[in-house]
Amino acid sequence: MRKNQGAFGAEEEENEINLTPMLDVVFIMLIFFIVTASFIKEAGIQVNRPEAVSAEKQEDAAILVAISPNDEIWIDRNRTDPKDVRVAIERLHLENPKGSLVIQADAESTNEMLVVVMEAAKQVGVTNVAISTEGDY
Amino acid sequence: MRRHHFEDIHGEEDENEINLTPMLDVVFIMLIFFIVTASFVKEAGLDVNRPDAPQQQAPPEESNILVVIDSTDDIWIERRLIDPRAVRANIERMYAENPQASVIIQPNKKSTNKMLVAVMDAARQAGVPNVSIAESTG
Repeated sequence: MRKNQGAFGAEEEENEINLTPMLDVVFIMLIFFIVTASFIKEAGIQVNRPEAVSAEKQEDAAILVAISPNDEIWIDRNRTDPKDVRVAIERLHLENPKGSLVIQADAESTNEMLVVVMEAAKQVGVTNVAISTEGDY
Repeated sequence: MRRHHFEDIHGEEDENEINLTPMLDVVFIMLIFFIVTASFVKEAGLDVNRPDAPQQQAPPEESNILVVIDSTDDIWIERRLIDPRAVRANIERMYAENPQASVIIQPNKKSTNKMLVAVMDAARQAGVPNVSIAESTG
């Protein structure tokens, strides 16, 4: 009887899979995704971007500001008054001080709002400002 | 005797082993969360230079290529009305005359973003490294 039990235990041990290498891989993936997680706050509306041939990929976009065709400014899924744009950009800039600002202006929006957003970014101290375009960089 | 000894060690080892399953569950859930929330936003865009960037000296006023966009989306360079398709050639010519120049776009408040980006695109295609947007007029 005891003999049988012993044999059973040994068999169980041999069938157990060594999880250590898998755990290593999973942890490395976990760390990679934590580090690369940027938590971009989407502007909240879809815009029809203007076409441009010489567009470049914007690597570290952190602040997205959208301007709708009827000149409404959207930041972080909220419609923002032109007067409050500076405060909203400042808040997002503090969360990621190295990130650049991308203005997703609709092709039909006027440049008044675009300049308002750029002025606000300048006051806050965002150094990198880009205008979003349609293009396959 | 031998068997007894073996069994003893085996039993002790089993008890000392930590059960990794709950930790694995947590790690996998975190992994899935971060994979799902990873956004990898790919934005294409045109960089805008600041006219008063501190690291570069402001060139003399007359050396800049000033492009004015008026309220009806017409493009004016040197007091001449320019067709949108001819903007690139005009900027290229002026840039060849003065390779130090940077392009300054002065859009009217009523002009559309489409025309502004078209001019910026033309300037970049003409090979001008510094393109900036001045405060809007009108």
